[in-house]
Amino acid sequence: MATRAFQRLPSAPAGRILVLRLAAIVLSLCIIAGVLALSGHSPVVLAELILRSTLGSRFGLEDLALFMCPLLLTGAAVTVCGTIGLWNIGAEGQFYAGAIAATGVALGLHGPAIMVLPVMTIAGILGGMAWIAVPTLARAYAGVNEIITTLLLNFIASLLTYYLTTGPWRDRISGAQVSTQRLSVSIPEMWGIVHWGFPVAIVIVIGLALVLSRTRWGYEIRIGGANPEAARYAGIPVRLRIISVMLLSGGLAGLAGMFEVAGTVHRLQGGMANNFGYLGIVVAVLARGSCLNVIPAALLMALILDSGIVMQTQQLSASVVLAITGLILFMIAIGDELAHYRPVAGATPKGKAS
Amino acid sequence: MITLLTGMLATAVLAGGVLALAALGEVLAERVGVTNLGVEGLMALGAVTAVMTVASIPSPWVGLLVAGLVGAAGGMVFAFGAVVMRANQVLCGLATTFMGLGLSTALGHNYAGQPVATTFGHVTVPLLSSIPVIGPALFGQNILIVPIYVILPALVHFVMFRTRHGLNMRAVGENPAAADAAGIPVMAMRFWYVTLGGAMAGMAGGYLTLTYVPVWSEGMVAGRGWIALALVIFAGYRPVIVTLSALLFGLVTALSFVGQAHNWPIDPAFLNMLPYVGTMAFIIVPVVVWHRMRRVMAAPAALAQPYYRDVR
Repeated sequence: MATRAFQRLPSAPAGRILVLRLAAIVLSLCIIAGVLALSGHSPVVLAELILRSTLGSRFGLEDLALFMCPLLLTGAAVTVCGTIGLWNIGAEGQFYAGAIAATGVALGLHGPAIMVLPVMTIAGILGGMAWIAVPTLARAYAGVNEIITTLLLNFIASLLTYYLTTGPWRDRISGAQVSTQRLSVSIPEMWGIVHWGFPVAIVIVIGLALVLSRTRWGYEIRIGGANPEAARYAGIPVRLRIISVMLLSGGLAGLAGMFEVAGTVHRLQGGMANNFGYLGIVVAVLARGSCLNVIPAALLMALILDSGIVMQTQQLSASVVLAITGLILFMIAIGDELAHYRPVAGATPKGKAS
Repeated sequence: MITLLTGMLATAVLAGGVLALAALGEVLAERVGVTNLGVEGLMALGAVTAVMTVASIPSPWVGLLVAGLVGAAGGMVFAFGAVVMRANQVLCGLATTFMGLGLSTALGHNYAGQPVATTFGHVTVPLLSSIPVIGPALFGQNILIVPIYVILPALVHFVMFRTRHGLNMRAVGENPAAADAAGIPVMAMRFWYVTLGGAMAGMAGGYLTLTYVPVWSEGMVAGRGWIALALVIFAGYRPVIVTLSALLFGLVTALSFVGQAHNWPIDPAFLNMLPYVGTMAFIIVPVVVWHRMRRVMAAPAALAQPYYRDVR
């Protein structure tokens, strides 16, 4: 081993993380620009176009808010689960379950919106919770890896949505493919096409941040995540806390599905989750376990999705956005690890025990 | 009844091969202490590059080779992040899956929906293929069945449990610090086995498009990479058991085909859910029924933990 000029710290200082993350994002953008240039697109022209049509136009800003709304909730869903040290990779499925439950209510219950919407909200939350129930119990009582179980349920939820939208709930009025009819109620709009779900999502995220940092429950969750053995020794019912956190996480993702169905899409559609569940993982990673950070993280992710729309108009496939997200996530994962290292003045000589 | 059983087993063997190959590769990676959640993305990349290769070079072997090489390259990218840079393995794996799924769709845009130019044809082994029920399934399909189900698992089992190298390999996954002290190159071992696992995931993708589903479409890998990951846990990180469980899993898939062919009064969407429901049951039920299962089938002790020589 050569002489070590770096020392690894157990926790990384926030400033260094910020610097390295910016570096990671800039590096990712450079790689993307390089690939685009090689495939015959001009990165400069494209960048200008993206900036003009996302942040520089009213429609772009409205789309940004609409993308942010589900990302805030799925991001918060993955974040609260991460607080106790678990990964909820199934927000996509819980999103569908919430959307399905809310649609079921809207199709079956007729009445004024003021009555139907709250029932839809509760149904959406319960739908998401039901979808994570099996992985939750398997994790809490049998220690089954939650990453795989939550993920597998995504495929089942997506197939169930497909079944409902082509079978019993298919659109018999306008004949839209893989879709239900337009729902009779919707969340009212507050600014252009942006519905009230957006501010509600922000309030929920802030509320969660307060609950996690200021209440006894939040404290027990954080201890349970940081050191389960110590938590058990201190008399914290870790198993019950795991169950409550995972159900909360599923409920948040289900609520995202309800907002999307009642506020943005207005019908249940196959593929409507649009990777919001998976991107919630990226948002949570960017947020580094803090609910307040979910807001800027969701903004960044929404910007990437918004620029994806522009890219599609330039003959670039929508899937490029997923690849770009992956690249940024990869770079940030490396950047976060590098932030733990501190240059040491006067490097330790070779072979000296640390 | 015999024809039904023969047909079902043939489909099971064909469908299970994809999972057997990918899961065996993941066993290698996890045994040296690295969880590669990028399998799904690497399989998609392998599937699409195999299709693209045979479109210009009409040889399925070249297609499979290219798929393997692309998988290895993707595995190296993951290993660079997760092993060399020691970044969070869950994040690097998810990032690899995103990149693989996104890139494969972008690359395969012009090939989507077209039949694959060349596939592995039927090869019938004389005598062996006339054994009732199992003969046609094992020896009457493509040439890759025997290597995937017999040769590779046997080889991995032998190397892992009967050689010094295999002992070293398992030591890296159980206690990297002790392995390091004993002079085993921990980082190199992890890097190359993750790369090999990636190559096998890529080849599993190639096998998918060159034999079983000979057409490229977006999302065609359909969670098979995640199912392979689940099978590794179910099989307790053992190469022979993982192969057998892939076959068992193939049977579940075959069941949904049989259901559709025989017009069972169940909607195809529900039959298509069977593989995912089956996988859930596979990893939950054994642990619930038999509690000691968790200890018998335990993961390598240092799984998903980066190794720092200087931090204890």
